[in-house]
This record gives sequence, structure tokens and C-alpha cells, in this order.
Amino acid sequence: MSESKKPSLDDWKAATEKGLKGKPASSLEWSTPDGITIKTVYTKADVENLRSQDTLPGFAPYLRGPHTTMYAGRPWTIRQYAGFSTAEESNAFYRRTLAGGGQGVSVAFDLATHRGYDSDHPRVVGDVGKAGVAIDSVEDTKVLFDSIPLGTISVSMTMNGAVLPVLASYVIAAEEQGVPQDQLRGTIQNDILKEFMVRNTFIYPPTPSMRIVGDIIEYASKHMPLFNTISISGYHMQEAGADASLELAYTLADGKDYVKTAVERGMGVDDFAGRLSFFFAIGMNFYLEIAKLRAARMLWCEIMEDFGAKKASSKMLRTHCQTSGWSLTFQDPYNNVMRTTIEAMAAVFGGTQSLHTNALDEAIALPTDFSARIARNTQLVLQEEAHITHVADPWGGSYMMESLTQQIADKAREVMKEVDQAGGMVKAIEAGLPQRRIEEASARRQANIDRGLETIVGVNKYKPKDEKAIDAFKVDNKAVRLSQIDRINKVKASRDQSKVNACLEALTQAAASGKGNLLELSINAMRVRCTLGEVTQAMEKIFGRHTPHTSTVSGVYGKVWADDPQWLDLKKDVDAFAAKEGRRPRMLVVKMGQDGHDRGAKVIASAFADAGFDVDLAPLFQTPEEVAEQAVENDVHVVGVSTLAGAHNTLIPQLIQELKKKNAEDVVVVCGGVIPQQDYEELRAAGVADIFGPGTSVAVSARRVIQRISGQI
Amino acid sequence: MPRFDTDTYVQGVLNGDRRMIAKTITLIESTLHRDEEQTQDIIGQLLPHCGKSIRVGVTGPPGAGKSTFIEALGLHLLENKRRVAVLAVDPSSKLSGGSVLGDKTRMGRLMANNDIFIRPSAAGETLGGVARKTRETLLVLEAAGFDTVLVETVGVGQSETVVADMTDFFLLVALPNAGDELQGIKRGIMEMADAVVVNKADGPFEDSAKQAAHVLRSALQLMHHPRPDWDLPVLLISARTGLGIDEVWKAILRFQGAMTANGVLQARRREQNLEWMTALVREELSRQFDTHSEVRYLLPELRRKVSDGRMTAVRAASMLMQAFSVGQTT
Repeated sequence: MSESKKPSLDDWKAATEKGLKGKPASSLEWSTPDGITIKTVYTKADVENLRSQDTLPGFAPYLRGPHTTMYAGRPWTIRQYAGFSTAEESNAFYRRTLAGGGQGVSVAFDLATHRGYDSDHPRVVGDVGKAGVAIDSVEDTKVLFDSIPLGTISVSMTMNGAVLPVLASYVIAAEEQGVPQDQLRGTIQNDILKEFMVRNTFIYPPTPSMRIVGDIIEYASKHMPLFNTISISGYHMQEAGADASLELAYTLADGKDYVKTAVERGMGVDDFAGRLSFFFAIGMNFYLEIAKLRAARMLWCEIMEDFGAKKASSKMLRTHCQTSGWSLTFQDPYNNVMRTTIEAMAAVFGGTQSLHTNALDEAIALPTDFSARIARNTQLVLQEEAHITHVADPWGGSYMMESLTQQIADKAREVMKEVDQAGGMVKAIEAGLPQRRIEEASARRQANIDRGLETIVGVNKYKPKDEKAIDAFKVDNKAVRLSQIDRINKVKASRDQSKVNACLEALTQAAASGKGNLLELSINAMRVRCTLGEVTQAMEKIFGRHTPHTSTVSGVYGKVWADDPQWLDLKKDVDAFAAKEGRRPRMLVVKMGQDGHDRGAKVIASAFADAGFDVDLAPLFQTPEEVAEQAVENDVHVVGVSTLAGAHNTLIPQLIQELKKKNAEDVVVVCGGVIPQQDYEELRAAGVADIFGPGTSVAVSARRVIQRISGQI
Repeated sequence: MPRFDTDTYVQGVLNGDRRMIAKTITLIESTLHRDEEQTQDIIGQLLPHCGKSIRVGVTGPPGAGKSTFIEALGLHLLENKRRVAVLAVDPSSKLSGGSVLGDKTRMGRLMANNDIFIRPSAAGETLGGVARKTRETLLVLEAAGFDTVLVETVGVGQSETVVADMTDFFLLVALPNAGDELQGIKRGIMEMADAVVVNKADGPFEDSAKQAAHVLRSALQLMHHPRPDWDLPVLLISARTGLGIDEVWKAILRFQGAMTANGVLQARRREQNLEWMTALVREELSRQFDTHSEVRYLLPELRRKVSDGRMTAVRAASMLMQAFSVGQTT
């Protein structure tokens, strides 16, 4: 071969365009939902002048990882989040997990616990034991951690709203195991800001909630030095529809506000910053997710240097990751194993410190033993068979990856600047800014998927001919509730009521005066067997319960569909209905019970309105009776129930009964969301007119609703 | 939707049957001509039972917290043993015709109480339609025994004039910021207001709310016509903490007392009845115009000509009116 001139990018372009028959090479580029262009080929020119290039793992700005040797020294922690309905079942699961190679345990709580209600509260009849374990008092927590040495096993608790009584009950359970507070290791999520943004499992308004965060950071920095007091979470933002740069920016901005809160109380940054950890979602956007984690570390280091942090541990972002639950599909569910594997690889290439891999049936119900084992083994195979762990930051130096890392960091900086201009995250949230951005991203993405512009295998492409339902874990919610109530009664009968009263009174006083540490007082209260509901109530008297202000975007969903014949037909049907009936079809979209995941409900509300419906969006956390009353007052044609947390078997039949009581049998009830196939028959028998599984596009479901309410089917 | 005979609607409303109240409102909202005719019969029979409530209009720029204010006021009124009805008019999307009726979503604490009835309505296409429908709905709720009716409207466009024309007391909710050219609140709305409340006077906004109230007070002194027996109050409130809500309600009662004593309230309602009549005539004329066969025949062609500049608007309008009047006499 002769020594010819080295081919240039122009040569590449010419050669490429020859193969493209006249189309420009740029026609192969792809734009991510964030608006970042993914090019076909990257060159040295893409990484020239990048500031953080050519750094090393374990050194600032930590772009390449917080530790020098990364997984070559010690692999990431396999941490499987699990919650069964009862403390006994969860405990048995933890023991099996630890015996099978798991290295820490994660606790999922039921929605009643999240929202600070004891299991005997009338508002939570459908929620107890669903989607996690119910904790009413220390007695439940003790059962939960029975024979699990809390001095050595790290515990991760997904708790934000009822963070005080739950954390306190963990401290007491350990104390009664003989483990002192300074040996406790683990993490509590305690990230209340994102709850106001996306997940809605808060209790108190933002200001007192931030005081609670501050109290916990302060208490733990003195008494629980090994415990991570806060896990700043972007996970739920991605689950709610945020793209990668929004997730990254809002998470870091939340982190900034927490640091500010602690600093304003007079704490030194280096006294607590090392105990802050992060939590990101890893979805199917493979390259970008890796870049996101690298960029996150670089940006956090900058932020902490601005706060004047000196210690290395204050400046290095350490994170837990979980594969995306939203990317899991209900249809053809075994595909979820592959999705989770790909996402897990992205998390590992991005340099996560711990990882939860979702079980294949997690989109439908709590994992079964079988699906949980596959999920855990996915990580073991990555760790022990694939030889991935030998190299720290294996993507370092890749033209593409370094360039992407820089681009997503720049995007995130722009969004954070917008937050700064709004006066910080608390104010931005109060003004509804991040909520609106996330909702827009979510509606756009859903419309793209529904229309088939984004492929989901088995859902909108390559659909299986006949679907075989998989066995889903089913919770006998009534039995769980009764046994919890029984335990509450026993606790209340055997405790010293005067001590209980004194502890609760002290909490109320501290809430009112602003003096005293609420975590310390909650620990005292849980020790004398106050219940979670009582502790919550004691502060609620002063703080009040926060009511969210729901808003919806409009026009985003309809815009993606604008010229689709299916959509135009639907709009014709809606107009025809309105002309005949004298008004537009009117639908009440509701979520019942304590489940605050309202992404689905909001997308549905906004998409149906774009199709020409008049849509009433019910407030969150309603009981079936309240929903029936609203359906009657607003005289809607149809109630659409969105359900994710498994309370449908209890709440939907109740709703239909309540409608009957009010003579409102003419109101049609349909439901959608995560409903296992095995429940369909029960729901239909109860009077549900139609059930829309995940993946049903609004073009289809709205059409069926029109037919139902005009009596055509 | 099932429909009932006039007597069923009337008796249902008078008995306070919540489902029949709702169904009657639906009938009022219907765009079908036969429903409109039945509605007039029903309203005719309900009218003798109306007029006993205090009617409060609430407006303000988007984001001022109208819904949360109404929620807080509603809770306060319930404590005072009042029976409260809330009408919320939501703008419909011009593009799709559909809408998300979100006001009630923001009044979660008012739900599930027999002494309160909240009905959000889509504004629909025409403003005249909003006026008639809201007024008639208000009458239905009065006949059903609600003694306080709150009508919420978004403070953009013309709908606030419409609401001011059917209420006894018109209240403007303002944001806690002083600048921005008085928040883009139109002078006309300022002049209509019987009270102004500055919301969100709590926490971080307390200072700016105070300042906003100060600016509003001086602006109002300049532009507001003095009224007999009434100094227009500018009140600081927080819908979140409940601060100032009691003062707002006291101001409304004081206004009602004073204006009843001096006859202004009665005069206002008489005036509004005349407005109502005029509005009904205009709406009916407009409907007849829109459905007139000759007009419908001519309209597309004339629109094209005017739009292409081949005919003046004045000429086209005159041709349409001529066609309409000719059709009338035949």
C-alpha cells in the first residue's frame, strides 16, 4: 500500500453521501429528546478544547469516577429494592437476597406509610400493603429487620414524606438490636423537593418540609456519621417524563438547595456534604445515560467548589442508579430482561456506586421470587462473567463520549441558570416551572410513542400474535390491613400512654416554636411506641397538609398527531358527538387513594382535551365517594380511572357502588394504567366498561370512550 | 345523556337534589336549540325562588391564586354556616375545542361537602354564550338554596365584564408583585372592582405583597370613581395560611349591608336584568343570523371577496344584513 494522504472528514462525507443516493450525510443524525444531535461519526475535532478531558478517576472533577480504581478495586453494590405487603414477607425476602449474593437491602413502603397514615386510617383502605410494606410502629420495623445485623448491612429506605417516624423507627429497631446510632450505615431518600415536582408523596408544605430535611442532616452529622441523610433523586423525574438533561439539571439544583439549607443553619459544608448521595434513573438512551452520569460528577464538583467545599469527599458525587421502570413494558414482558440488561450496562459504564435492576414484571406488580432472581443475576453476570469491571471509566477518551458528556453538561447548565433566575428550586417549584417543563417533555414523548415515531419492541412494533399473561404477584390487601390494624391495637394497649402524650406534645411544641430537633423528638416518640400516624399528626397540627396544585399542558400531544388520519377521524367523531348531544364529551380523570404518580393521568387529561374532550382532572388522594360526588356535580359522561399502585381491585368497585348510590348509573367507568390481566375479569364484573392496558394510544382509547358513551358498544 | 321533563328538573332543583341540579346545568350548557327552549321554561319556573343569595364575582390575572383563594373563602364560609356554590369558567382551546377544567382540581379541600356545589364549565366558543349560561346556572343554584354564589373567571379577555354584570360584588385577586405595569390588569377591571385582595402574603412573598398593596392603593385612588358609602378596600391575604380571609368576608357583608340600605344593590340588579334582556336578544339575533339560509348561502363567497380585497367589508356587511332582513319578512 502506498503512503497516501490521511482521509479527512470531507472525504468521509463524500463517501457516505455516495451511498446515500443524494441525501446529505446529516440525514443520518439523530436528535435526542433533549435536542442533542447524535452524529454518525465523531473525530478529534469534537474533543478539542474540552476543559475536563484527560483527567483521572479519583481526582477532581471526578468526571471519570469518584474512586481511583473503580470496579477493579471493588465492584458496585448490588442493591435490590423490594417491598412486600408485610414486614414478615419483606424480612424473609431480605434474608433470601443476602444469602443469594445481595449486599444491602432496600425497603419500599406502602403508600399509606409514605403519606403518614396508620393502616387503620379511613383514607387508606385501598392502599395498605400495596406497592410496599406497611409500617405503623417500631414493632413493624423490628419484624422487618429481624436477624439482619443493622451494624454491618446497609439499608436503603425510599422514604420522603414520613421520613421522621420511619427513620426514627429504624434507629430504635437497631437500638433494640444493640446497635448504636454511630454504626448505622445506609441511606434514606429524604428528597422532598422532587416530591413537589413529580411524585407527590409529600405530607407538609415546602417550607416546613425543608426544615425537616435540615433537622435530619444536622442530627445525623452529629450522631449517625456513616448514614447518608439524603439521596437526591432524579429517578422519578425521568419516570415522570423528563429527558436526560432536565433530570440532571433539576437533580443538581435540588442538591444545591439542600446544601444551602444546611449552610444557612450554620453548618460547615465539609461537615455534611460527604453524606449526600444521588439517585438517577437509567433509561434506554444508552450513550446519553453514560454521559449523564459523567457530567453529573463534573457539575457537582463545580457546584460544591462554589460552596467552598475543601474535602474531596464533599466534592465527589456518589450515586445509586436504577434501571428505568417506565421503559418496562406490559406487553411481551420477557423483553424487559434485555432492556434492563442494557440499562444496567449503561449505569455501570457511567460509574454508578450501586445499582438496582428492575424485575421483568415490575411494570405490573411487585416482583415474584423468580423475576427478582433474574434481575439480581443480571448484575452478577455483569460483575463476574463479562470482565467489565477491570477498567475504570472504559469510555474515557472516546471522541463521542467526551463530546456528549460536555454537551449534556452544557444543556444542564442552561436549565440550572433558569432555576437560579427563578430564585432557586423552592421558588421555581412554587411557580410551577420544572413541573411544566417535565410535563411538556412527557406529553411529547408519549405522543411520539403512541404514534409509532419511537419504537418500543412488542408494543408499537413487532407485536406478538397472541399475548400470554404472566403470573403477577397478588396482594391480599384486606388481610394485610386487618393484621396491621390488629398490631396497632396491641401496641396501643401495651404502651405507657402518658409517655406517649408527652412525646407527641413535645413534637407539636417544636413544630410550632421552630426550636428543637424534630428527628431527635421523633426518635423519642417512636421509642415509647407512638405510631407513625400519631407522630405525623402531631406536626400536622402546626404545619398543615400540603395540597398540590395540579396543572396540565395543552396542545403538546395533539401537535405530534396533527396530520394523522386516525387522529383526524377521532376529532370528527368528537365533533359529531358534540353536535348531536349538545355538548362535548366530558370525562373526569381521577387517581384514587394515596398514589401520587400522576404522569399517566396528566398525559391522558391533556391528550383527551387536545382531541376535543372537556376534561375534569380530579385532585389527588381522593376517596371513591369524593370522586363519585364530583362525577355527579360536574355531570360527566365518563370517569377514567388511572391506576398504577395496585389499589384498583378495592377502589374501582367502590367507586361504581358510590355512583349507584347517587343514581348516577349513566356515568360510564373506564380504567387504564398498570392492571394485571388476571384482574380484568373481576373489574368487568364490577361494572367497568372498558380497560385500557399500557400502550393503548389515545387515538384508540378516546375513540372507544366515544363509542361507549354514545351507546355504540 | 338522558333528558327529563321540565317538572322533574324544576322539582329536583327545588329539592336540592345534587344530581338534578347538575343535570339542569348541563341542559343550560347545551348548544341544542330544543334544550335552550326547555331551559327557558325551567328558568321561568325557578325565578320566583331566586335572588336571595349574595353573588360574588372573582377575577384576576392567571397565577394570582383565584382558585386557592376561593377554596380558602369557601372553607371559611362553611364554618359560618353558609351554603356555597362555585362556578368556574375555563377557557376552551381554540384549536381543539376541548379543555382541561382544572379549577376544581385546585379546590380539593372543598370537596365532599353537602353545603358546597362546585361546577366548572368550559367557556365554549362565544362570549355571549358564557354570559347567558353562567347567569342561568347562577339562578339554578340560588333556587336550589345556595345563599352564596362565587363566580370565578380568568382575568383575560372580556369575560370579567360579563361576570361583573351578573354579580353584586366584584373582587379582584392580584399577585404579590408591585411592578409590571400593575400586572397587566386593565384599567377597566380596576374600575369595576369593589375590593382588591393581594394573595400569597406569606413566607417569602410577604414583603412584596405589602408593597403591591401599597402601589394598588395609590393607583386606585387615582383611577377609581368614588362610590357612595364605600371605600374600596385593598386587603392582604394568604389563601395558604388563611390570613385575611375573614376580613374579606366581612368586607363583602359590609358592602351588602350598606348597598342594600342606600338602594345601590337593588338598582344594580335592576340594571343587570336589563343587560340580561339585551344580551338574550343579541344572542338570539346572532343565532338567527348564523342559521339563516340566505346568509349561509352568501357568506362563503363574500368572505372570499373581502379577504381578496375585491369587495369592501362595509359593502359585504350591508349585503348580508339585507339578505338577513329580507329573509325575516318572508
